[in-house]
Parts: sequence; structure tokens; C-alpha cells
Amino acid sequence: MPARPSSWKAAAYSLPTLLVPGLSHWVLGRRRRAAAFFCIVGLTFAFGLLLDGALFPFSAPNWLYRLAAVAQVGLGAPYFIGRLVGLGNLNPTEVANVMFGYGNTFLVTAGLMNMLLIMDAFDIVVGRKE
Amino acid sequence: MIFRDHFLTLVIFSVLVALFFGVLNHRDRHSFVISVCKTLAWMVLGSLAFAYLMFWTGH
Repeated sequence: MPARPSSWKAAAYSLPTLLVPGLSHWVLGRRRRAAAFFCIVGLTFAFGLLLDGALFPFSAPNWLYRLAAVAQVGLGAPYFIGRLVGLGNLNPTEVANVMFGYGNTFLVTAGLMNMLLIMDAFDIVVGRKE
Repeated sequence: MIFRDHFLTLVIFSVLVALFFGVLNHRDRHSFVISVCKTLAWMVLGSLAFAYLMFWTGH
């Protein structure tokens, strides 16, 4: 019976997705899937910003916004870089915008998709998935 | 903001999510197409039903 890789090794292979969506799958040799994941998560993120969605801070006044921030952190580097350069700032005038809710949904979904990619890469490394 | 169309936004969102799960779960081309179609059908029909419910209860 082949030895199962350690959890540390699996984590090391799955976390690069936090830098670039799909990077873990690229490292694991699933190049076409990685490219598809990069495009899909990237487009979801871009549409979210174009639709005036917000990258919520953890200090947001509303607990629902703070919950959305937890999901958006799943994006990893794009979330923190976006926050640093001022993309998707939580602007009180934007909250009344018709597309604000849609934009937030796109951004939250992009974060959750990226979390699923981390778990998928983990499963591939430990042998739960082909 | 690039567009304000609710239906177009819904369709783009549904297509992206359907493609994501299609790529995540597929083993071959056939299972990919089936997965995308099923997710898309559930999302678009479900969203339309929800929108209709909102419209109906809004009166």
C-alpha cells in the first residue's frame, strides 16, 4: 500500500491557490483545469468589481458584511491587493446602487469558489480524488 | 458600472457558476456538458421562480 502524503505536504500544494486562483492545480499538473479555474474565478471577481460590489473589511458596521468579508478572504491575494489599492471600497452612496447587491454576490461567490479549489487540490494530493 | 440589466447579470452569474462546477466535477466531455446544463437549468429556472415570487408577493 503506497504511503499517503502528509497533511503538511497537502497543505503546501493546496495553498498556492490563495496567491493565484488555480495555481495549485497548475502545480499538480492539471494545466487545462487550472487555466479554466483562473478564467472563471477571475471573471467572477472582475464582474463583481465592475458591478460596483464591495470588498468588505472585517470592521464593517453590519454583521452580514463581516460574514461576506469571511467569504471574500477566500480569494486570498486578490482580496488583499484589492483592499490595498482601494478597489471595491465600501462607499455609503454605493449601497443604494441597483447593482451593489449583484456585485457583492459575484465577489462572495468568487471567494467561495477559491475555497473549494483549495479543498479540491488538497483532496487530489491526499488521494481522495483522481 | 457596465450594465444594469438584471436578467443579463443573472445569466452571466449562472453561466460562470455552472462552468465552475462543470470543470470541478467532470471526468470526460459528456459529464462536463451534463453538469453544466443541469446547474444552468436549476439556477436560471430557480432564479426566475424566485423573481416571480418576489414580484407576486410585492403587490
